[in-house]
Amino acid sequence: MTMNRLIATFAALALLAACGSDKSEPSPMGAAVGSLAKATVSRVSGNGAGGQAKAPAPPSRADIEKYGMPILRAVIPTRGADALVTISDQKGPVVTWSTTDGTTFTLREGVLIQTRGLGPDLMSAAAPGVGQLLRDGGTHQRVYYFLGQDDVSTRRTYDCTVDVKGRESVTIFGRAHAVTRVTEECKRPLGTLTNEYWIEGTTIRKSRQWVSGLIGHIDFERVVD
Amino acid sequence: MHSMPRLSALLALSTALAGAPAVAEMNRSLNLNGATGLIDMPSGDAQDDARFTFSTALVGSITRTTLSFQITERLSGSFRFQTWRDWNTLFPADSDKFEDRSFDLRYQILKEGAYVPALTIGLQDFTGNGTFASEYVAATKTFGNRLKVTAGLGWGRMGSFGGIGEPFGDRPEVSDPGTPNSDQWFRGEAAPFAGVEYKITDQWTFKAEYSSDDYVLEQERGLIERDSPFNFGFEYQRGPNMRYGLYSLYGTEAAFVFHLILDPKTRAAGGVMGAAPVAVKARPARAADPDAYDGGWVTQADAGPLLRKNLAKRLAVDGIVIENLAYTATTAQIRVRSNRIDAGPQAIGRTARALSHVMPASVETFEIVPVVNGMGASKVTIRRSDLEQLEYAANNATLLRQRVVITDAGPVPANAVGDDGLYPKFRWGLKPAVKMSEPLKGDIGLRLSASYDFRPGLVLSGAIYKSVFSNVDRSGEYSDSTLPHVRTDNSRYSKFADPGLEQLTLAWYARPAEDFYSRVTFGYLERMHAGISGEVLWKPVDSRLALGVEVNYTKQRDTDGGLGFDEYYYDVTTGHVSAYYDFGNGFLGQLDVGKYLAGDVGATLSVDRVFANGWRVGAFATVTNATSAEFGEGAFDKGIRFSIPLTWAMGTETRQSFGATLRPYTGDGGARVDVNGRLYESIREYHTQSLDPDWGRVWR
Repeated sequence: MTMNRLIATFAALALLAACGSDKSEPSPMGAAVGSLAKATVSRVSGNGAGGQAKAPAPPSRADIEKYGMPILRAVIPTRGADALVTISDQKGPVVTWSTTDGTTFTLREGVLIQTRGLGPDLMSAAAPGVGQLLRDGGTHQRVYYFLGQDDVSTRRTYDCTVDVKGRESVTIFGRAHAVTRVTEECKRPLGTLTNEYWIEGTTIRKSRQWVSGLIGHIDFERVVD
Repeated sequence: MHSMPRLSALLALSTALAGAPAVAEMNRSLNLNGATGLIDMPSGDAQDDARFTFSTALVGSITRTTLSFQITERLSGSFRFQTWRDWNTLFPADSDKFEDRSFDLRYQILKEGAYVPALTIGLQDFTGNGTFASEYVAATKTFGNRLKVTAGLGWGRMGSFGGIGEPFGDRPEVSDPGTPNSDQWFRGEAAPFAGVEYKITDQWTFKAEYSSDDYVLEQERGLIERDSPFNFGFEYQRGPNMRYGLYSLYGTEAAFVFHLILDPKTRAAGGVMGAAPVAVKARPARAADPDAYDGGWVTQADAGPLLRKNLAKRLAVDGIVIENLAYTATTAQIRVRSNRIDAGPQAIGRTARALSHVMPASVETFEIVPVVNGMGASKVTIRRSDLEQLEYAANNATLLRQRVVITDAGPVPANAVGDDGLYPKFRWGLKPAVKMSEPLKGDIGLRLSASYDFRPGLVLSGAIYKSVFSNVDRSGEYSDSTLPHVRTDNSRYSKFADPGLEQLTLAWYARPAEDFYSRVTFGYLERMHAGISGEVLWKPVDSRLALGVEVNYTKQRDTDGGLGFDEYYYDVTTGHVSAYYDFGNGFLGQLDVGKYLAGDVGATLSVDRVFANGWRVGAFATVTNATSAEFGEGAFDKGIRFSIPLTWAMGTETRQSFGATLRPYTGDGGARVDVNGRLYESIREYHTQSLDPDWGRVWR
């Protein structure tokens, strides 16, 4: 209760005082109240009974295709986030996908190499290409680069083995795709991680790829080419 | 994509909840005194490097508020404010409160190993008048992952119950309060203490101890009755940042403690927040489109203003303002001011990305000059082709840094493109402001500030402060200091200058020569003093060493917060020669030698630990020829200071921070005029030693 009163006091002060000529500088008090309010709201929706019931029906493939542009679906389980994203930059095999609120995912041949705007971002990566991922039993080194403690660049290096599991069918927004399921098992002295790919021809149709310690995995689905 | 707003809102929403994972191993917890330990006794443990904690404890009628900082992996320090209420119940007097401030230092001699316990030696209240003074050696061993056992030997207060003799002789009285009481340390009766910690769940811990503190002082005053040496209680850890404890003390008292635990190295927001940058714009291959690389565009009269306008639009998204743009067919130099992004490398990276979109393909070299108070702080030269090649490369931060050159900013190029209405520029703001003078003591109020930039480096600025809530001394009495009252009439300024003009100055910043920076500030410099202040700093971009000279002539202002000088008739010329040294790993040292406000002569030594994300914790001490008696209680001026960037706490992009300077006692000796815009701190951010630690943010 005291917390709420404190927030109310700060909110009053922030509203009272958040004025000035510098529009580029957000009021930190206002921001504090904002993030507290957000945290409270999301906690409420997370705990509240029937919180899931309010979610509107997912869009249909027809809805998505009528925009006539490539679409990727990104799901971040640890954030409870689910977004359809569009291309904001393309340089050869490297494609950057953006949400409307300033988060980007950069993939090379469908393999994640950078994120921005998530907070604990993947800053860069030495990652395999699709060719490597289709070679059963193939090994490679994978290096992830982050901003670690105190924003210092840090890395995690893994030795990875490709395991081609076999043919499968996956359905993405009502369309079935014949794919090869592949796992990439990566080890380092301090731990292991697994990336999973569902590859159609040489296109990664669907994947579950590790980003960083605090984010965990992101699930990608290539909905519209 | 009608679902996108909802989905992306969800994404934005959930980022606010990111936090560190739950603590798995056994906590190295704090005690009622804000030191690593059991309940009232210390332990052999140390906190994680750089941890900053704020503890408030209620022990019967005693309040202890302690700030602790793990200065290095082994060394930690504390600063404590302690209040005994009902102090004069048995001895009626003016005040029923007794207050004391104390400093602690602890050093971990041994880190815990498979067979070796953690071993710490500590000094508690080692410079005060001895009210809370103790010395101790404590050993702690963990058994399994739930049980910890501590045993130790204490002197002073911690040697006052169950003593085993005086191994190092008699304990003399404190002879010189305020200075380190080294003749007392480890002297007098020694007494053993011990305790256990048992982790019940990840959140709950049980603690029990045998205390060797007899609470002689409190028993004499009738504040605490001590029936038993045994204390026990439970602690509850709530997330990584909060811990609560509730205990039974000495068979008669209850105690409560709350610890706020902050790890400067780990952002509370989980990472660097803020929107993703725009991608670097790739130029066409020269072979494919040689015309694009033609430099003929430089002769077009309207090219400059157009480029500048387009750049300004792109940079405004990141709160970056262009001061100047100069170019040839192959090189562009842009001078920018970053108003929002808190890290130099990120501001530089965003500027480079904008240049890649706007500058014609023939421009291969980007020179980015961050400007602070109108002064070019450094020049970061980036080859455009490196930017293009490395954008998606693995380890791109290190690779780019190897190819980037950081040099002195140099003069503004003669062909720089005009101001585009940037100057003169008027800015104002009305914002809440917290002024902390002690833990849990200070002012919350509103500050109305305004500034007018005539041209780069020439600024008229002012601020008025009105207190809304205050619990500082506002008695309005003149102090009884025998020195000129340059600081000690604080209560008069707090009482009468409300609202008051805090500051009204005309400041001129310049770059007189390579590696040299200068400042002249004239007017109402601070709440208590007005006059003129001049400073010159020598600081090569890649040098760990900087040297500076400052000279001030000031008059003491009236306490009513107005423009007058009729109350004190005090004027003084002060000045310092300063050496600054960056020891690496974030440790900064500073030595100032010169004349202080009360006319005393001496030196100030400061050490700060700064973090790439803007956190800063430091301590300082000033010794002058003002005697202990003239200075007052503390013998000489000393204190600690800290600054916490708001972006670290909340994730919002802002350059604002919350901080305070805390002193055990404010005297008139060793005081310096408090002028804004001192040079070293202004420009350091963009020099090599500050850009390198978080250079990775250039791609953020």
